Amino acid sequence: MLKKWFRPFEAVDVKQRLTITAVWVVLFAGYWVIASQGSKHLFPTPAQVWAGMQSLYAEGLVVHIASSLGLCLQAAAISLLISLAVVYLSPLPAIKPIAVFLSRLRYLPLTGITFYLTILVTNARSMQVWVLVVFMSLYFITSLLGVLKDIPVDEINHARSLKCSRWEILWEVVIKGRLDYVLDVLRQNLAIIWMMLVTVESILVAAGGLGVLIKNSDKFANHGRIVALQIIILLIGLLLDWVLQVTRKGLFRYSTY
Amino acid sequence: MAIKYEQKDTILHVENLSVAYGEKVIISNVNFTEKDTVRADKAQGQTIAFVGRSGRGKSTLFRALTGLEAPTTGMVLIPDYEKKIVNGQQPAKKVKEGDVGFVDQKYTLFRHKTIYQSLKFACRKTSLSDAEKEEKIKQYLHDWGLDSCKNQYPNELSGGQRQRTAILEQLLSSGYYMVLDEPFSGLDVGNIQNVKDAFWLINDSNELNTIIFSTHDIDLAVELADSLYVLGYGKNEKGNLVQTGTVLKHFDLKEMGLAWHDGLTKDHLDLVKEVKEIMLAS
Repeated sequence: MLKKWFRPFEAVDVKQRLTITAVWVVLFAGYWVIASQGSKHLFPTPAQVWAGMQSLYAEGLVVHIASSLGLCLQAAAISLLISLAVVYLSPLPAIKPIAVFLSRLRYLPLTGITFYLTILVTNARSMQVWVLVVFMSLYFITSLLGVLKDIPVDEINHARSLKCSRWEILWEVVIKGRLDYVLDVLRQNLAIIWMMLVTVESILVAAGGLGVLIKNSDKFANHGRIVALQIIILLIGLLLDWVLQVTRKGLFRYSTY
Repeated sequence: MAIKYEQKDTILHVENLSVAYGEKVIISNVNFTEKDTVRADKAQGQTIAFVGRSGRGKSTLFRALTGLEAPTTGMVLIPDYEKKIVNGQQPAKKVKEGDVGFVDQKYTLFRHKTIYQSLKFACRKTSLSDAEKEEKIKQYLHDWGLDSCKNQYPNELSGGQRQRTAILEQLLSSGYYMVLDEPFSGLDVGNIQNVKDAFWLINDSNELNTIIFSTHDIDLAVELADSLYVLGYGKNEKGNLVQTGTVLKHFDLKEMGLAWHDGLTKDHLDLVKEVKEIMLAS
């Protein structure tokens, strides 16, 4: 059996897959326990992480999670609307250069953008939202342009053969025909935004959020709390990912990828 | 034995057609005319086959026939049935997008529409009333064996169901003409039979119904078509092949007494041999 586990492209049944996963979990947990022993340990002990988790809960972890989720969802909704408008109009030759240019802007560093946003927005919360919106939109536009590019020409010709006008093709093939892809693009890019939370939430400490908690814990070198927060951030991210995946499959029966 | 028939009005006229992409001429000097075939005992549509080796411009010709590709020179004319007959002649019009149905070899459908939604969408621009559209769709779904899966999406359909839906969409949208680019490509024996059945169903339902298809299976082309064109590279004055597709030969299977037969006779097989020889030389 062990031989099969180390042969490329070998198919394994569910039981073996679970066994392999269990082995990795045990190895990881074992390494964590060993690496957290002694006076010069790399990681906090599981007990320290658990204690960190409890102290975070006592400090209103749930409220902070709600604040982070609120910020993330608000920014996601605004940037999705902006990105969809830009991308859906990108088949127009006059708009295409703008869409492509915005996509290229994703290589811009965050610092320069925040400087100009500080001048433009009036309060810190708006600042947080718009920093996220700007960055999320650039990634959304890039991914959505990729979705458009991958539409087979056969689908366009099929619509043309059914007497669709150019605007009908845009509506039927691009907008309605790729709605499920929008949810998937949101799912993939939300991970990037979730990662940016720590930076963005440090702009307004008073508003709270997971980013503020992790920054404070970092300041006091409380490793137990830092790892506890990282685990929480990871789990919420995975939960968001799962919810979007299930929503896509539930809403769009034809979405098979 | 030859089956009696008559030829009436012109249903398709292609004149000096050429298509080029930049400097590269894909097809040139394509000329042919097809007429409405009438048989006394039954409604008989037309089935026109195009055969030729790969890269000889069949798909390009089909895109031009359906108005999806603008000709570089020449024109494709079909009767304009929306106009009244003048001096005993149906006025003609240049073909444009949507006039001629087009089914590609992948049987592309809208991925986000069920069969019923697709068919309803296909007839949205016809002059029928809502009740008539509903009745027609219901009838088609029944006749083509799609009743039970009318609420399913393309990804939930079998290959045969996809084929029938793709053909029905075009029937509802485009009227009498349908171009199918390699409809038998990659199909198993059951699905080939399904498409053949679909051809007969279309041909028997209206004498103006015209199927134009391409295939690499010469036997099938000879079995199904009543008119067959061989597309290939022509030759220049020196006898060398030029890299531009054109019609090399036309076989009128009606005139030859080979149309509308079940199966292949010796004469059919001789024709298959002749077609293959022309193709190999082109």
